[in-house]
Amino acid sequence: MSDEICLRVERDADVVAARQKGRELAALAGITGSDLTVVATAISEIARNIIVYAKRGQIVLRIAQNGHRRGVVVIATDQGPGIADIDLAMRDGFSTGKSLGLGLPGARRLMDEFEIVSEAGHGVTVTMTKWSR
Amino acid sequence: MTVPILKQGHILIASIQAALTDRDLIDLKDELTTSVGRFRSRGVIIDVSALDVMDSFAARTLRSVAEATRLRGARTVIVGIQPDVAFSMVQLGLGLGEISTALDLEGGLEMLAAFGLEGGGADER
Amino acid sequence: MPEILARSDAHIRQVLDYDVERRRRFVNLQPIDLEHIAELKEDVLKHLDEHVEAFFSYLDALPEAGGLFPGSDMRAEAIRLKRDHLTAMVGGEYGKDYVEQRVTLGIVYSRAGLDARMFLGGFHALLRSLGARIMEQAEEPMPAFDRLTSLSKVLFFDLAIIVDVLIADRESTIALQQEAIRELSTPALQIRDRLLIMPIIGVLDTHRARQLTEGLLRAIRDNRAKVVVMDVTGVATVDTKVANHLLQTIAASRLMGAEVIITGLSAEVAQSLVTLGVDLTKLNAVGDLQGGLEQAERLLGYQLVRLAPPVERASA
Repeated sequence: MSDEICLRVERDADVVAARQKGRELAALAGITGSDLTVVATAISEIARNIIVYAKRGQIVLRIAQNGHRRGVVVIATDQGPGIADIDLAMRDGFSTGKSLGLGLPGARRLMDEFEIVSEAGHGVTVTMTKWSR
Repeated sequence: MTVPILKQGHILIASIQAALTDRDLIDLKDELTTSVGRFRSRGVIIDVSALDVMDSFAARTLRSVAEATRLRGARTVIVGIQPDVAFSMVQLGLGLGEISTALDLEGGLEMLAAFGLEGGGADER
Repeated sequence: MPEILARSDAHIRQVLDYDVERRRRFVNLQPIDLEHIAELKEDVLKHLDEHVEAFFSYLDALPEAGGLFPGSDMRAEAIRLKRDHLTAMVGGEYGKDYVEQRVTLGIVYSRAGLDARMFLGGFHALLRSLGARIMEQAEEPMPAFDRLTSLSKVLFFDLAIIVDVLIADRESTIALQQEAIRELSTPALQIRDRLLIMPIIGVLDTHRARQLTEGLLRAIRDNRAKVVVMDVTGVATVDTKVANHLLQTIAASRLMGAEVIITGLSAEVAQSLVTLGVDLTKLNAVGDLQGGLEQAERLLGYQLVRLAPPVERASA
């Protein structure tokens, strides 16, 4: 398996595929235990976001190195309507149960690093990383 | 992929497989809701031991299954949430609301029995 | 053996922190613990060989530990030292001499090629052996558990010293030392059907708290536990991250169908939790372990019933 995988995200089944591949790559990066499920969950949230809000997009999975530590990087991109107000989108609505369904704040909580770039009309790019312990 | 649903007396037992898509979850919800009505079930056990990930969509769907079946007079218990999945859920900030949970199928049946429901023998209808 | 010890262990003794008071404070060793250990002494000594065996069996099973203690002489010596160690551990004297003896033991292990990770594994096996025997012999789980907790404190005391030596001997940094101690996971003990006890001792940081959670959730599954009594008597302080971990652990346990009862919350820790904004009413906290166990038993439907009055021993 190479160090980078590119996955199309368009159909329901792609969400499952993305999180399963994500889990595999994370394991290769030395991630163990419950962190594997954590990574898979974050990918599931982000992948579903793509389908719900942009209809289609892609997810790139990559192994990263930082000194003696390795990790898995997930880059999710789409060319959808984009997010006008990122701060609002990142606000936590889960506890009230009235969330717009955005998995973004959740994914951020799950991963070690999280970055989101978007402009209205220009899609969304989410880059998130989980390091091995 | 259809989720197998077993009928045990007044209880319906659904065992979820690992690679469940959103569509499958919705189908399951519809199937369970209909079945509860048709069989006048009083309890529903959803076994998620084989579920690799419980994300916000899955949790929401399970909550609406519980709500829909409750409106038809049935009590739902989710069983088999795995350690890693439970851990991820709380990190994500995800809860199952008021839905009862138990460790496994046996625990789920015990719980329903405590609520006054009997599992009984094989399918009668 | 004496010549091995003489070889450059001066630098180890130099680097090591011998501050006995600080080490005792770290595990929160109290006078009551000494009492408990005295009560345990006889039983532990009776099963000494069994416990020593648990430690060495673990090491024997490790592929990387093959070749440790080569030759029956070295192994016999190591076994003798371990027996002495366990004997001293229930001896009740934990001052400077005790610390020095542990340092000597640590040096022996280090020269035999044991690294911190291997040692921790063996240590864990030893703790399980001691725990299982103590709980098994117990008529009442609660007092036995109190004694085990006290003994665990001394075990952790020893652990810290020996790990210090292992690492000092390899000239590692303080950071590595912290890491090694954190990696030791606290075992969850099943004391009754569906009931687990998890004693937490020492300093809790984010990393360790997470391992604790993972270990507990797995134990809930493996033991089919419905109630967990988490005893935090041995925890001196708690920060926001750890408090959150605690709450998450409780939430995750519930998802698996298990209730968590927290016992041994000191006034100090309770206060810091309140200050950190933790809603104590969300925690099922019971003052002491006895109360916690009683509540656990009630939750599980147990009830202690005396079937007959205590037997009066007639004089001969």
